[in-house]
Amino acid sequence: MNLFFALSPFLTLALGALLLMVAEAAAAGNGRGEKVRPGLALGAALTCFASCAAAAGVWFYGVERIEGLDVLQPWLIIDRFTLFFAGLLALGGGLASLLAGGYLPEHQIERGEFYALLLFSTLGALILAAAGDVLTLFLGLETMSLGVYALTAFRRASPRSAEAALKYFLLGSFAAALLLFGFALLYGATGHTDLAGLGQAVKTIASGALSGQAAGPTTLGAAAGPLVLFGFILVLAGLVFKVSAVPFHMWTPDAYEGAPTPATSFMAVAVKAGAFAVLLRVLLVCFGDKQSTSWANGWPAVIAWIAVLTMTVANLVAGRQESAKRMLAYSSIAHAGYLLVGVVATSRDGTAGTSGILFYLLGYTVATIGAFGGLILAGHRGAEAVSFEDLAGLGRRHPAAALPFALFLLSLAGVPPTAGFFGKWFILKAAMEGGFSVLTVVAFLNSVLGAYYYLKVLVYLYMREPGAGAPIATPMKSGYVNVALAVSAFFVVLIGLDPSRSLSVATRAAASLFGG
Amino acid sequence: MISPIVYVALATILFFLGGAGFLFRRNVLVSLMSIEIMLNATNLALVAFNRLHTDSHTGQMLTFFVIAVAAAEVAVGLAIVISFFRIKRSVRTDEADLLRN
Repeated sequence: MNLFFALSPFLTLALGALLLMVAEAAAAGNGRGEKVRPGLALGAALTCFASCAAAAGVWFYGVERIEGLDVLQPWLIIDRFTLFFAGLLALGGGLASLLAGGYLPEHQIERGEFYALLLFSTLGALILAAAGDVLTLFLGLETMSLGVYALTAFRRASPRSAEAALKYFLLGSFAAALLLFGFALLYGATGHTDLAGLGQAVKTIASGALSGQAAGPTTLGAAAGPLVLFGFILVLAGLVFKVSAVPFHMWTPDAYEGAPTPATSFMAVAVKAGAFAVLLRVLLVCFGDKQSTSWANGWPAVIAWIAVLTMTVANLVAGRQESAKRMLAYSSIAHAGYLLVGVVATSRDGTAGTSGILFYLLGYTVATIGAFGGLILAGHRGAEAVSFEDLAGLGRRHPAAALPFALFLLSLAGVPPTAGFFGKWFILKAAMEGGFSVLTVVAFLNSVLGAYYYLKVLVYLYMREPGAGAPIATPMKSGYVNVALAVSAFFVVLIGLDPSRSLSVATRAAASLFGG
Repeated sequence: MISPIVYVALATILFFLGGAGFLFRRNVLVSLMSIEIMLNATNLALVAFNRLHTDSHTGQMLTFFVIAVAAAEVAVGLAIVISFFRIKRSVRTDEADLLRN
């Protein structure tokens, strides 16, 4: 029973996804060969929120008090870090299904499998965040990715959707192959596929104490070191691809632009958060050896360079976009850069850096869902709002649709007192206190630079009028989207006004990664 | 008995061949095959490495899962290729040029 309770966030999602598939198959026709699907979106959203509530339930009951979790070792690790991500990912999945509930019928592409795919993808992301072994890590990663590839291709008649899915699928599979070969090499060098055992063995090999031990791979001898290094590079490349950091970001703008907007918001939120969860776990559990001064601990410098490149390139390119959707894609790359600054900070003070990342992801999740929701709300059937021009004058004509959009953009830009501001604050603080002052300054300058293109949207919303003859955007009406925006706005404001409570939750989650 | 190291060397060569095929060929189906070669190289490496770590069968077990996941990946991949082909009447990646800056 204990086990079922501890796994309830996962089981809820799996069960809900299966039920939705049955419901879609059994949906009644309306006599014209079209199926009537009242409330599939509601079912998907409720499943996700139930999963989120289950994670919160296990959190407040106290995961430490649950006995018998050893049988999951090493496959799944259920700790507060996992539970935090379970709640966050399920929240993201639920809000994305609410957006889909408004968007898909409006654009006449509603088919029930969207919600089932979305739920299975969310489940994959949860498994990814909980993975304690290469096997579960790979299964979770692929469950998440395969669902998202299909979601990207969901608009079958659209050339853009097909092209986006093709690029995303090819590059995503390539990255997964790199990751897996890297782990195969690590397995060869250490004999472990569980992350904890892998970490111990890497520590031994890196400190050069292997020669005296009979348990190690004696036939490899001196080759073990280079094997670990090469494997680590491949694993890092695969993970950096998934968080869409420069130089592995090329797929992101295309996939984000071509996918249906609810799927885009899910990619920006859940795929990124799941990838950061596994990145943190792999780096800190397998390669997080503070005492070691060997090359195995050389990743902070590498990640720091990737972070600088990611932030700078994404911010410079985002400012030149004409499509607001593509701009948001580049903005999500830039946010990956800020988050990587936090990853660098974990190498000095693990708990501070990790809690900063978790807090940032929380604020980023709700603000990003909200921003894409605002974009969805600004368009209607046959006239989806995509470019900046489509948004011109919306704030004057439809203030109720533009106001939440503006709030989320301000949060993404990091304007106080929103959630985004405190996210940046905690990450920069952790980096500064870790002694990475140059990196902190670069990140700060980038967040100032990044504010430019968010404000550009606000200028279009409130200070421009559509050009003569240009189509005038009319917002769509949808209760689902309104609810998603209201929930997101509630969290953005709540976290912004009372950051200490969310931070203490994030800190407890982060501490559990370090055995606290 | 052939040393496992030979198999690992073969796996590495296969992996890089697959990677080169993915990066330099413009046909989507060839790209898909290249990814399959990379995954199979991984399988070979895992099984070969398992001979060095005989206390458990972790490597071989992982291989089974990789085979199953690779099959699922190809199923989704071919579906995407078909939907792309229906629209473009082509399976070349340089035809995918709608989305750009």
